[in-house]
Amino acid sequence: MKKLNKGVSALASKPEMGVVLPLIILLAVIGCVNSNFFAPANLIDILRSTSYTFIIAAPLTLLMISGGMDLSIAAATALGCVVCAWGIADFHIGIIPSVLLALAAGAVVGLIKAFLVVKLDLPAFIITLGLTKIINSFILVTTDGIAVSNLNNNAFKQLGQGKLGSVYWTIIIAAVIGICMHILLRSTRFGREVAACGGNRETAKLAGINVARVRFTVEILVSVFAALCGVCMCSRFYSGQPAAGSGTELTIMASVIIGGTSMMGGTGSILGSFLGCLLLAVINNGLVLMRVSTNWQNMIFGIILVISLFIDKYRRSKTGGGL
Amino acid sequence: MSEILLQMRNVTKRFPGVVALKNVNLELHQQEILGICGENGAGKSTLMKVLSGSYGASEYEGELLIHGTPVRFTDVHDAQAQGIEMVYQEMNMMLDASIAENLFVGNLPQRRGFVDYKKLYADSAKLLAQVHLELDPRMPVRPLNSGQMQLLSLMRAVAKKPKILVLDEPTTALTDQEVDVLMEILAQLRQSGVSCLYISHKLEELYRICDRALVLRDGQTINSYPISQVSRKQLIEDMVGRKVENMYPKETHPLGREVLRVEHLTVPHPNIQGKNIIEDITFSLREGEILGIGGLVGAGRSEALGAIFGQYTHGVCKQVFRDGKPVRIDSPRDAIENGIGFITEERKRNGIIWMLSIRENMAVANLKKLSRRIFMLPRLEKKQVSEQMDVLRVKAPSMETKLVQLSGGNQQKVILGKWLMSCPQILFVDEPTKGIDVGTKADFYQIMSDLTKQGVSIVMVSSDMPELIAMSDRVLVFAGGRITAELHRDRDEITDTAIMAAAIQS
Repeated sequence: MKKLNKGVSALASKPEMGVVLPLIILLAVIGCVNSNFFAPANLIDILRSTSYTFIIAAPLTLLMISGGMDLSIAAATALGCVVCAWGIADFHIGIIPSVLLALAAGAVVGLIKAFLVVKLDLPAFIITLGLTKIINSFILVTTDGIAVSNLNNNAFKQLGQGKLGSVYWTIIIAAVIGICMHILLRSTRFGREVAACGGNRETAKLAGINVARVRFTVEILVSVFAALCGVCMCSRFYSGQPAAGSGTELTIMASVIIGGTSMMGGTGSILGSFLGCLLLAVINNGLVLMRVSTNWQNMIFGIILVISLFIDKYRRSKTGGGL
Repeated sequence: MSEILLQMRNVTKRFPGVVALKNVNLELHQQEILGICGENGAGKSTLMKVLSGSYGASEYEGELLIHGTPVRFTDVHDAQAQGIEMVYQEMNMMLDASIAENLFVGNLPQRRGFVDYKKLYADSAKLLAQVHLELDPRMPVRPLNSGQMQLLSLMRAVAKKPKILVLDEPTTALTDQEVDVLMEILAQLRQSGVSCLYISHKLEELYRICDRALVLRDGQTINSYPISQVSRKQLIEDMVGRKVENMYPKETHPLGREVLRVEHLTVPHPNIQGKNIIEDITFSLREGEILGIGGLVGAGRSEALGAIFGQYTHGVCKQVFRDGKPVRIDSPRDAIENGIGFITEERKRNGIIWMLSIRENMAVANLKKLSRRIFMLPRLEKKQVSEQMDVLRVKAPSMETKLVQLSGGNQQKVILGKWLMSCPQILFVDEPTKGIDVGTKADFYQIMSDLTKQGVSIVMVSSDMPELIAMSDRVLVFAGGRITAELHRDRDEITDTAIMAAAIQS
């Protein structure tokens, strides 16, 4: 019994635990109600939708650990999607230059954001909200709100629609990104610098860390990967959608928080963020399978978000985490 | 002599493990200004918190009497109802509200349920005129300088027509002219029947305005006398005179060559624009030396260390020489590369990272050393961290324990370990034993002694007089932005009175 208790408290001390429990319960419930849920094709589908959010959530985890936040991720996704389509359909510059152009557009967004938030020390919430409005409006003005189609490039379809065996390329891309981000966070000097910046900026600076450079890097990283997500969507929809990713900024941030990343910075994990994204996808998928209206989706997600913060608080009280 | 207005009898206030006040007695007469003096940590602020109701009657022992009648305050409002008003050292203004709203916060004049702005602005203008501030009461407080704000917070208390006004170091942010204005106001208040308690380190001011002085030391009432009948020397001796216990394992050894020289250091004041907190100072440090820096709180000692270390760069002028060669230090990174470490005063604000582990906290200043190319070397990291934990005797279940779970003393040891891991040749320590229990303190002094034996040089800012005297090879005293004394251990110059006398020179 003692051993079990010890095991439970060791598990409870993992920051990802806030999401694991609801996830297991949900899997069990949906699996019992509908046996099709565990069909390989369905699981692949869930992973496929997870991959799109996770491509952004993984670098966003780093940003939030460094003490930042970003509402402009969805706008950067749309921008990446549209710019990539322009490259292929309008500029006829081929796949790789188009993708690079889209990533560069993301980098520019990231650079502007980093300049305002880090260099000028303006509040991230308002700045990224403003950036969202500016980018969305820019896209609407330049596209008239109409999707950029006539890509006429079947090879480009591979990225979002193609598979390796039975696994979509986007899943593989997301997995590679996740593993890289995990290693970056856990095993590199940079990862430590990120955690120190979020944990206590003054302390980090006095310890010789170039706080501004670290924060600049993660800000840009997030926007570039958001644009990459847009590129994948461009391929999947086979068009540049002006509304790609719209409305997902808060759910992606919530997925990261559900995964145990502290809103105050300092701690968090990539695995947790993956589980958070997975949870969201499972809810969506489960509701469809159970023929429940998708209008319920956000309510369930919201309830789990609240519960996971309860679990997080309990965990902190167990480990004396304070606050 | 006039009637006794306030009496505090046998007040004892205990904190876990410490007795902050021991049987303190205080008498305040009608129309009197009573100066309260003592070293940092003598219990002045605690006593005032008892008086102001910040500590409720159930939290301390002893009695409070007003006009001979016992009173029990449960909170600040009770004290205010009895006419006791505090003017705090830290300014707590609503920066974007108007001057008038700040002056009358909590008692805005009203008419039929609405704020009577006409009366508010008229009353505010009267108060401003009293302190010779030519400001529009409608303007926000934010653009004002700290001296103006300090006068506003004084007038905010005056506006409530108190019977007893408590001032805690009211002049630290004031210019000389503003001090004159303050003195004038206090004299007027005394004339109109108000009594004041005036806490100050500055003897000039005490002699200028007070009628009597009460000296506190180590939480006890040492003496009280009419100020005209006591010499400065007597007053200083009463403030500092205590026997030094032998918890300081100081060993003198021959000092080596000069390792650091700082020339023409000028640091702008953090709160007052156009004023320098440190004005063109020059000093040097030798190998294996502990250089103590004494002076009052607010003398710019921490700012000086921060400026040398590259923590502050804005408006700072300095020339730094390491081993005789000029070096540029524009950021903490440069300082670390030059073999300097810095244990800051405010552990919580810029020392620890509370949600990270001991290991991560110690590694944070040594990431380059503990990594190859971009990757950390976990085995090396664990080895070095556990070595430091052993040497420093950090009490914790493991190196993965989060800092928030450690006591203040152990947190301070982790910070020390962080800097020792970087193998510094020079260590800056700012109030290294503030808020730390006696046992850990002794550990700290032992470590400092050992370090100097190995040739490390230490610059120690301290307000703890016994510590400063016992540990320093040489003491610089800062006052008014300059070095007012350089005292040498080998000439037996380092004494309480010498340091105090230099610290209150202005």
